Amino acid sequence: MVAVDIILSGVILGGIYAMVALGLTLQYGVARILNLAYGELLIAGAFGAYWLYSSHAVGPLVGLIVIVPVAFLANWAIYTYLLTPLVRRAPSREALEADSILFTFGLLFVLQGLGLAIFGGQIYGYPYLRIPVEIAGVAVQANRLVAAAVALAIGIGFYLAMTRTRVGTAVRAIAVDPSAASLVAIDVPRFSALVFAAGGALCAAAGVLISMSQTFTVTSGIVFTMKALVIVIMGGAGNLAGTLIAGLVLGLVEVAVARLIDPGLTLAANFLIILAVLMVRPAGLFGRSA
Amino acid sequence: MSDGRAWIVPVIVVTVVIVAAFPLTVDGNVLAENGIRLGSAYHLTLGINMLQFVVLATAWALFSGPTRYISLATAAFFGVGNYTVAVLANAAPLPALILLAAVIGVAVALVVGLATLRLRGIFFVIFTFGLSELMREVVRWYEVNQAHTVGRYIFFNISQEQIYWELFALALLVFMAGWLITRSRLGLALRVIGDDETVARHVAINTTAAKLALFAVSAAFMSATGAVMAPRYTYIDPAFAFNPLVSFQVVIMALLGGAGTLYGPLLGVIPLVLISEVISTTFASNFPLVLGVVFIVIVYLLPNGVVGLVQRWRTGATRLPAIARAPRIPGSGPLLEVNGLRKAFGGVRALDGVDLTVEQGEILGLIGPNGSGKTTALNLISGALKPDVGEIRFRGHPIAGLPSHQIARLGIARTFQIVRVLESMSCRDNVIAGLAFRPDPLWGEAARERAATLLDRVGLATRADVPAGQLTYIDQKRLELARALALDPELLLLDEWLAGLNPRELGIGIELVGSLRTEGLTIILVEHVMDAIRSLCDRCVVMNAGQKIADGPPDAVLAEREVIAAYIGDAVA
Repeated sequence: MVAVDIILSGVILGGIYAMVALGLTLQYGVARILNLAYGELLIAGAFGAYWLYSSHAVGPLVGLIVIVPVAFLANWAIYTYLLTPLVRRAPSREALEADSILFTFGLLFVLQGLGLAIFGGQIYGYPYLRIPVEIAGVAVQANRLVAAAVALAIGIGFYLAMTRTRVGTAVRAIAVDPSAASLVAIDVPRFSALVFAAGGALCAAAGVLISMSQTFTVTSGIVFTMKALVIVIMGGAGNLAGTLIAGLVLGLVEVAVARLIDPGLTLAANFLIILAVLMVRPAGLFGRSA
Repeated sequence: MSDGRAWIVPVIVVTVVIVAAFPLTVDGNVLAENGIRLGSAYHLTLGINMLQFVVLATAWALFSGPTRYISLATAAFFGVGNYTVAVLANAAPLPALILLAAVIGVAVALVVGLATLRLRGIFFVIFTFGLSELMREVVRWYEVNQAHTVGRYIFFNISQEQIYWELFALALLVFMAGWLITRSRLGLALRVIGDDETVARHVAINTTAAKLALFAVSAAFMSATGAVMAPRYTYIDPAFAFNPLVSFQVVIMALLGGAGTLYGPLLGVIPLVLISEVISTTFASNFPLVLGVVFIVIVYLLPNGVVGLVQRWRTGATRLPAIARAPRIPGSGPLLEVNGLRKAFGGVRALDGVDLTVEQGEILGLIGPNGSGKTTALNLISGALKPDVGEIRFRGHPIAGLPSHQIARLGIARTFQIVRVLESMSCRDNVIAGLAFRPDPLWGEAARERAATLLDRVGLATRADVPAGQLTYIDQKRLELARALALDPELLLLDEWLAGLNPRELGIGIELVGSLRTEGLTIILVEHVMDAIRSLCDRCVVMNAGQKIADGPPDAVLAEREVIAAYIGDAVA
């Protein structure tokens, strides 16, 4: 009974986590921006869904139609207007990473500051599909099931797009080696901007899905940044299949720790797993060795 | 050493005087211009704030400056100090608690460092970022579930002036520690690591130990600062003690001032604390927002990016007593024996059961077409790679799988196929890096003299003070040889060291390598230049597709059908 509960809840949570990390693996693995404000952008998506639901009575799934394009444009603008100067001047990948970490850490506080000014510090949430559904004798909230299903659908669709299309091939080429990609006539700067934007759109979509079943505050983004980073490192930066699997693993472990030991120790569990993984494979579970 | 630094001393003196005077000042004209409120209590608060960041940023730069590992763990160590005092407030006097906090900080740093310092730079950043989050969660979990409280009250009978002077003492200590470290071999080791970690290992530096030591020292100061500051807050909770904003402020301050020098962080702390002060008084409600914008603007304004700010520092005055050199113990039998060496990369067998012996005093040519496994063999012998199967014995001792720095210490030095000099360091310091970590290390004046001799030997005598990055490719190769010779090796591995030389340079190069043999050095020469092989090598081993296909005197070996086939193709042979 407990085992079924853990596996079911773990897969649902893991599906959402995979979705959360998918955007970051694009932004970091392909566009080479280690975005520490990632969680804040996710929470922005959650607040977007809340705002649409509470003031326009628009459900979150319909809300995705509005929020995803807005997030895409916003992230495209961030990359094109704010990050491109940093990308241009960076002499090496390491230099860009250091600059982007500090830039996005600053962005984190800007977004939090804006959020606090608009929404204040209280806890937000909205009732959506709060119907218990029974699966294999375990009660699960319908909103979480829907969120996980949508996350998985988006994840798989994205994976297919990346592996089966010309654009996807170009993106994967950039992930492996940007300078080699430019040698085969791939417009790396343009694609990087688009990929960063797509990552941001996925991130906002994940925020919408999370808002369906969880409460959130302006400052709760940092936890999601951490989890996404853990998953991306475990799965190997830029590796989509690795990200999906690492997300599921993390979800399962978190639920198991929360149910069997203590809910307060899930973040500690995250770190133990990633430490263990990196001890054995320094480039991640599915990463290329350096 | 450079002339542009003369202005720095008065700046520091004036700063110290101003800062030291904060508790005594009644009207601060300097600060009044910046729109800051007056009053001695206010100045004291500002002084405490400034000193706190001086200690934190300087301690941060102690480790991150030379190694270029960006650590976001400051908040974690600071919080450790806060909580040490908060939890044990009634159990011991404050000085004991501050010391204890430093000890706990060191313990945490050692555990975290052992686990993460082996990782590549970016993983380290993320880990340290996560560490403060993790500590906060764990402390919160403990407080709620075990101690049944959310935060803790700290009551100490201590005045602001006392806290101020404690911080002042801590600041002096951190500067002293930094000054001593830059003048020690540890300081040099960290700079070598910062420039090129692979080279560091091959000049016999135990990179993990060096990084760990400095990480722990830096953590001790951060935790001590946390402990000193704790009595200032009457109430702390995990979110306050482990605030990631602190980590970020410290990084920005240190980098803005220049993390490569001891006084650099100080220069960054002063303006940024003042800016923060102005922001928090004028935009009290939007503090994080405005601070974030200010930081973003700072990142933009750095012309060479943040990394450009991690300046190179140069130690010149490294005058410690020289250590006497131990006599070398001659061995018997082959110097190097390799048996059944195998190494695969995925499905590709780079080396597939190779046997080799190298006799004392000979030059062995290791030749073969591209991809035949020559460089892999050198990487296995020098410890850059670990073999899948097989034995490597050096003077009879098994060395297969040992870390590079230990192999280097045993007396095997190497150069790299693609030249790797420590670009930001002077030629002299490049060579000293090779002298300072061998079993009979040279340091101080003795090291400088020996470095001069070695540089002269490779024809770089006049370029001792030039940063290695400014040398031409050929000169960089020469410098690399001097660095390898600095280890005083018995066996020297030269990976295509003669490639790319023009005919005149080639002649000089061949002569140089030949003269090394007459001095008793044993050499493995991976080379494509046939003239060099014919004139230098006593014996040649030919490799093809990961296997040895011939072994013997150069002329005989080069005439073999299989060798010709491997190089030119089957049709010709």
